[in-house]
Parts: sequence; C-alpha cells; structure tokens
Amino acid sequence: MSDSLIRLDGIHKWFGDNHVLKGIDLEMSQGQVVVVIGPSGSGKSTLLRCVNLLEEPTSGKVFFDGAEITDIRTDLNKVRANMGIVFQAFNLFPHMTAEGNIVVALKKVLKVEDAEAHKRAKDELERVGLPHKTDAYPSQLSGGQQQRVAIARALAMRPKLMLFDEVTSALDPELVKEVLDTMRALADEGMTMVVVTHEMGFAREVGSRLIVMDEGKIVEDGNPREVFANPQQERTKSFLSHVL
Amino acid sequence: MASAAATMERPPRGLELVKQQSTPEALAVLGVGALAILLALLGPLVVLLMNGFTPLEDLVSGFKSGAFRGVLWTAVGLGALAIAGAGLIFKRQGTKISREETIAAAILGIQAIVLSLLLIGFAGGDVQKFAQNYLDFRIIGEQDPGLKDFFNAAKNTVVLAFSAEFFGVVLGLVFAVFAISKRAVVRAPARVYINLFRGTPLILQIVFIGVGLPIGLGINIPAYRAAIIALSLNAAAYSAEVFRAGIQSIERGQLEAARGLGMSYMQAMRYAILPQAVRRVIPPLMNEFVILIKDTALVLVLGLTAGERELMTYGDFGVANTFNATFFILIAAGYLAVTLPLIRVVNAVERKLRSGLVGVGA
Repeated sequence: MSDSLIRLDGIHKWFGDNHVLKGIDLEMSQGQVVVVIGPSGSGKSTLLRCVNLLEEPTSGKVFFDGAEITDIRTDLNKVRANMGIVFQAFNLFPHMTAEGNIVVALKKVLKVEDAEAHKRAKDELERVGLPHKTDAYPSQLSGGQQQRVAIARALAMRPKLMLFDEVTSALDPELVKEVLDTMRALADEGMTMVVVTHEMGFAREVGSRLIVMDEGKIVEDGNPREVFANPQQERTKSFLSHVL
Repeated sequence: MASAAATMERPPRGLELVKQQSTPEALAVLGVGALAILLALLGPLVVLLMNGFTPLEDLVSGFKSGAFRGVLWTAVGLGALAIAGAGLIFKRQGTKISREETIAAAILGIQAIVLSLLLIGFAGGDVQKFAQNYLDFRIIGEQDPGLKDFFNAAKNTVVLAFSAEFFGVVLGLVFAVFAISKRAVVRAPARVYINLFRGTPLILQIVFIGVGLPIGLGINIPAYRAAIIALSLNAAAYSAEVFRAGIQSIERGQLEAARGLGMSYMQAMRYAILPQAVRRVIPPLMNEFVILIKDTALVLVLGLTAGERELMTYGDFGVANTFNATFFILIAAGYLAVTLPLIRVVNAVERKLRSGLVGVGA
C-alpha cells in the first residue's frame, strides 16, 4: 500500500452524457511499466490524463506518492512537475528551439539556475539521441525527432513517473522505431511509466504489466506475455485477434 | 542515358517562355491595348502640363482644350480596336502565353475606354468651379492656416494614432485574457467593456469622454488628452477581440503541454500561448492600426486648439477660414502619406509570417 506510486480509487469520468470511465481502481508501484491497450473510445487516454489531472475525474480519488491529489487544496502544478507527460501530437512550443522547450519549465517551474537548466537540456537531448539539434525549431525537425524532444523535455524535470499518450500514433511508420527505442531505454533505466499505445510488440516486450480496457472499464490486468498468450476475457480475446 | 538527360532539361521559364510561345498577332493586339491605356493615362497629363498648372485659368483651359478630348477619344478608339482584334484572334491562339496576351489586350482596352470616358465626362462639367474649390493650392500658405501648420497637424495625427495604438494594445491584451477566463466574474466585465466600445460609434465616445465626462466628474480633461483616452479605450476593445481570436486559435495541446510541465495557467499563457498568439495577430492588429489612423479624424468634434490640431481639424479649419476645399485634398494626401507605407509594411510582415520558420502553426 505504502510503496504504491499511483492509486486510482473508483474513478468515473463523464463528458456530458457520455460515461467514459466507469469505476477505475488501479494501483501501481515504483518501477512498473504499465501498458494500457484497448479499442479506440475505451477510455485509455482519458484514464491516463486523469492521472495527472489534465482531465478532472467526475468522481473518485487519485493518490500520488501517498497523497490525495484530487483534494482541492493540492498544488497541482507541483504534482505535475513530478509527472512527465508526452502527447500524441508532440505539442512542442513552436516559437522555441529544442533547448528552449526544455529550459523554459526548468527555469520557470523548478527555478533551476540558467546555466544548470541549459546543461540539463543538453544532457537530455543527448540522452534521446539529438545532441546536434539543440538550436533547431520544432518545424525543422521530423515527427520522430520532435517526439524525442518532447520526451527529453519531460525527462529534464526529473519526474517520478512518465505518462505516454499514444506517442507514436501520429508518426510515419519509419519514425516509430526511434521513439519506441527511446522509451525502451527509459524503461530499462527503471523509470516508472504508463504507456497508452497501439504498439503490441512494445507492450509485450517492454511492459511489465498489461491493462486491457473496454467501454470505460479495465477488463484484464496482468503480465503482458501471459495476457497475450492466454487472455482470460472474451472481450480481450476478440480485441487481440483483431490487432495481432 | 543521353535521351533521359535531354528530357530532364529544365523547360523554358520567364521571358524565354514568353518569347517561345508568343504569336505575332497576339503581340500586335497587346501592343494596341497597351498603347490605348498609356494614352488614356499619360495623354491628358501631357496636355495639361503643356497648358501649365498655374494660374488656375491655364489648368482649366487645358481641360477644355480640343487636344485633351482628342487624345482621349483616340484612346477610346485604340481600346475598341484592341478589344475587337482580341476577339477576332483569340480562338486560334494555341499556346497559354498567346491566349493570356490576347485576354490582357482586351482588358487593357476596356480599362482605357472606361478611364477615357470618365475623363471626357469630367472635362465636360464645370471644371472652372471644381478647380477653384478643390485644386487651388495657392491658397495654402497664403492665409491662416499655413503649410507649417499642416506638418504640425500631420505630426499630431501620428502622435494620436501611435499613442492610442500603444495603450490600446496593452489594455486590449489584458481584456482579452480576462475575456477568456473560465470565471464568469472576470469574464463578464471584460465582455461588457468590449461590447460597449464596439457597439457604440467612436464619435459618441469621443464626445462623451471629451465633454460629458469632465462635467460629470467635475474635473478638467484637456481636449488633446481626452482624444488620446477615447481613441485608446476604443482601440483596446478592438485589439482585445483580435487577441482573443489569436489566443483561441492556438491548439489546445499547447496549453496542456505547458500545464503538464507544471506551469500555472498564467505561466502557460505568458510563456507558451501569448507569444504564439501575438505573432499570429500582428497582421490584423496592424490592419486595426490603419483604421485607427483614419479614425483620429473624429476628434474633430473636440475643437482642438491651434497647436493641437490634427489633420482633419486642420483641414476643417482651413476650409472654414478660406471657403476653399483644397484643404481636404491636402489632408487626404497627408493621410495617404502615413497609411500607404504602413499598408506596405503590413503586407510584408504578413508574407514573412506566412513563410517564416519561426512562424505560426505547428
């Protein structure tokens, strides 16, 4: 209980009349790589965005590092600085260079010294394999490169948890691998990750835990290899038969 | 290999292509059309110049001369010839260039005819009276107000416009951020302000702030300052709407990315959203500025004193003093001297933003 990094407690999310999450209970501990799969519209992305409260649950509680962050008195900015998120559409700031994208939050949110912020930015760009792109603007980078800068931007904050929201879905097929390789290296370093994806190969090889969602509920939760080899639920079987 | 290289050669472009694809007959009608428009544009000018602009009587006799009409009717004839010729040969033109040349010839012909007929009609009217009232430039400098006052007025127009734009943009940005607040108590006053100033005539706002407000508040607001205040408040409402549209045109993901990094809403606005939004709205803002320059004319109603007069007040004073509307022509030229360069700048900036690397969009 105490070693869980994230705990979701009866999360429901309504968008108007649309019941998107129907009572999600989930607990994950440090070092886990949780991969979330499921048909589109099943609530995967909403679930992910409820973890850092970019989407506010209609009801239910979210705990991070032992504290309830759905409590209205929580300083969410502080919490979010501890959780990196990477989006499908990259969402780099187009008016800043790769380095500028990384430096801005370090300086303005974490109040890191200027020199230290630039050093961290360069280190992180090196880590994602783009040391020569510090001065490039997003429009000068390929989709895969932009996404790696977005990952570097999140990592520079030294988060305790990384959230990946279908980060390869907007990429040309030949650019998917470079992003997945970056994520794989991150998982190998022991980063705690929640990964919403359609990449089944990644789910099987990198995930330490697989969650299958359907119609706003978690229908299966277990070791990826076992779930792929031997799905327990009818719904999982039919979904896997369509995507594998 | 050799034949492949031959087909890879760059096809002719520009003048090279024109030379290759033109036909003599298309060039001939194009020449006639060009001649017609040149005659309609420059012919009257040459005739007037030969008659002399001053004294006014020479200018009038130039308009009334047979040469003036003769040169224009010739232009009409040439224009008609270009149209007829173009119509005759158009169907058999086999290249894109020669067809375009034929079409251009006909269009130039039409323009020459329209322009010539307008000028002939004008010369047929009471040119004497028109010239006396609108083109008597001797009057400027002879009496009060003089040419020196004109330059001072032009300076005042520019000062009014720039200060109102400055305060308007600063205030407008604040109102725009208020207007998109998720809190109704913040949003509502901003909307009321914006709609009030967009929904009433500027001239009423100027009168109210320059005349009504000082009475109501029991304070003295100097007219020139009241003019700047009224124009600023009005510009703020319009700038606010431009900024609001700009902010809302930024993809939602930008705000989410900033918040996801732990920035507060205000930090996200300041570092992520506004820099992009401002860049995006520079062209429409400059457009508003061009409008604002002309709107400064409405401070006429405040009755500014001699040294404070802007172009419109200056012109109005001149016309009232001399009973001669030449002052209006002069101030029209004054406004153009400010607005035309600015319009060029707007277009250049717009082009640059559209092609720029550091630009807009994702």
